[in-house]
Amino acid sequence: MPNAVSELKAAPRKSLRAGRHIAWLAAMPMIMGIGVFALYPFAYLIALAVTDSSLARPFQEWAGFANFADALSDELFVGSVWRSALLALLSTATAMVLGTAVALLLDKAVRGRDLIRTLILLPLLTPPVTAAIMWQLILMPQGGWLNAVLMDLSVISSPVSFLGHPTSAFASVLMVDVWQWSPFVALMVYAALQTLPGEVFEASRLDVRSNWTVFRFITLPMLLPALLGIAVLKLVISFKVFDLIFVLTAGGPGQATTVSSFYIYRVAIQQFDIGLAAAQTLLFAVVVGLATVPFTIAHDKSEEKLS
Amino acid sequence: MKRRYYVPLIVVVLAFFTFPVVFMALVSLKGQADISTGDVFPTVLFWQNYPAAFESVALAKYLRNSAIVATCGAALTLIIAVPATHAIVRFGLGKAWLPATILGTYVAPPIVALFPLFFLLKSLGLVNTHLGMIIVYGVMNLPVAFWLLSSFIRRLPAEIEEAAKVDGISYLRTLRSIVIPLLMPGIASTGIICLILSYNEFLFASFLARSEDTQTVPIGLSLFQGDRQLRFGQIAVASLAAMLPIYLLAVFFQRWLVGGLTSGAGK
Repeated sequence: MPNAVSELKAAPRKSLRAGRHIAWLAAMPMIMGIGVFALYPFAYLIALAVTDSSLARPFQEWAGFANFADALSDELFVGSVWRSALLALLSTATAMVLGTAVALLLDKAVRGRDLIRTLILLPLLTPPVTAAIMWQLILMPQGGWLNAVLMDLSVISSPVSFLGHPTSAFASVLMVDVWQWSPFVALMVYAALQTLPGEVFEASRLDVRSNWTVFRFITLPMLLPALLGIAVLKLVISFKVFDLIFVLTAGGPGQATTVSSFYIYRVAIQQFDIGLAAAQTLLFAVVVGLATVPFTIAHDKSEEKLS
Repeated sequence: MKRRYYVPLIVVVLAFFTFPVVFMALVSLKGQADISTGDVFPTVLFWQNYPAAFESVALAKYLRNSAIVATCGAALTLIIAVPATHAIVRFGLGKAWLPATILGTYVAPPIVALFPLFFLLKSLGLVNTHLGMIIVYGVMNLPVAFWLLSSFIRRLPAEIEEAAKVDGISYLRTLRSIVIPLLMPGIASTGIICLILSYNEFLFASFLARSEDTQTVPIGLSLFQGDRQLRFGQIAVASLAAMLPIYLLAVFFQRWLVGGLTSGAGK
């Protein structure tokens, strides 16, 4: 009898421990996948960065920190990092404002919410390469819709090459990125709105006059942790932009739209200097990581404030 | 907001988000003369662009390659991520650091993984093969899949699984006959999102797919860039053909797609 009792007591613990082994086993392919896709590349990049390497023959000879020094003294690379950061910040800010506005509109919708949501999904589903082609058709000087409209309205007298001037080319990239990702922000904010307790709004609407006041002092503070979380995600996504630029502007005119991913790609493809490209990639990854830190801190603080 | 502002605002928003697609669809029906005017509507419907686009680039092949690598890539992601995410979330494996590491890897720009993976696949003889791309896409989306699935898994009641364990049902059987059926909506939306991400992917494909037999749709479209001056109508056709599978998928599976995209937002 005592045996049976102790067996009963021991049984769940034993099964739990056995379960944990199996759980680690189940998690292993994921851990290995992440290792191969993320941790191994970092180790490999460090190895590439401290050696002279080409696409055909990596690790030819020890180079120390020469590649990092070269990367940091390369004005074009440093410029591309600033440009990436500027594009990511502007795109995140704009998409957050626009996306939140759309989410609030969607929340107010009485009819056709599903249809509106499906239509809004269009840009998000469009491959960035295709998005670039679409906007090229709108922006091009000969036969572009925007030029035709502006000429009809007599805003301009001759066609403008929007992608041919540094400022307007950068603004165009920004606009297409905002076009593509605002729907994502809108969907996420809309979902976050649904999780807010409705009674607070009912109560506040009784004694507050304007909708703006309700939004500013009730909705926004309650939504803030979710908004900052979404902003971090959007920021990370914006730093990844590559194909859009590859097709829309090819980094031009000059360096006007050359973001770091694109610059590094060119260093690797055209100069075949993989060691330098690796050093630049590592520096760029550090910048991306640092850029998310203030948002993450703000996110944690806003959550503390609420609770 | 006053009700009378609502309808015009939503019309403006919808116009902004859908106009480029509509305009491109109209360009696909324009002959050269209509394209140079910049007018929205074609004066003559120029259907010839459609067969011509399929003839001038290997569009059918690109679509087939995309279908293969995106579908198999998403399947691979799910096969790896469903049991693993469940195990990590339910057993609290690796406390906080393991989930944080998995999610943290998403922050790194894809260019980080490009060269190391290229050399790895080269040494395995997998450059310019479907298998190589399937593996890359399969692991590329693991952090996304983990993020999406974990919020679905947290919503499943743990009691059912605990009861199964008390009844002596094995982990594998619990996973197969309890967890996976309950998790199906989450698995579906994760699968669709991973499929779309792989379908749209460009950077890795541009390195790993080096011939018509492996090149995916985004690569095929970028090849039009060489002589774009001449064939806007055909470019528009090809772009429409590229988007259509994804749009159809999204409309059919809208419920799951939206569910997946929004599953993590409330946190």
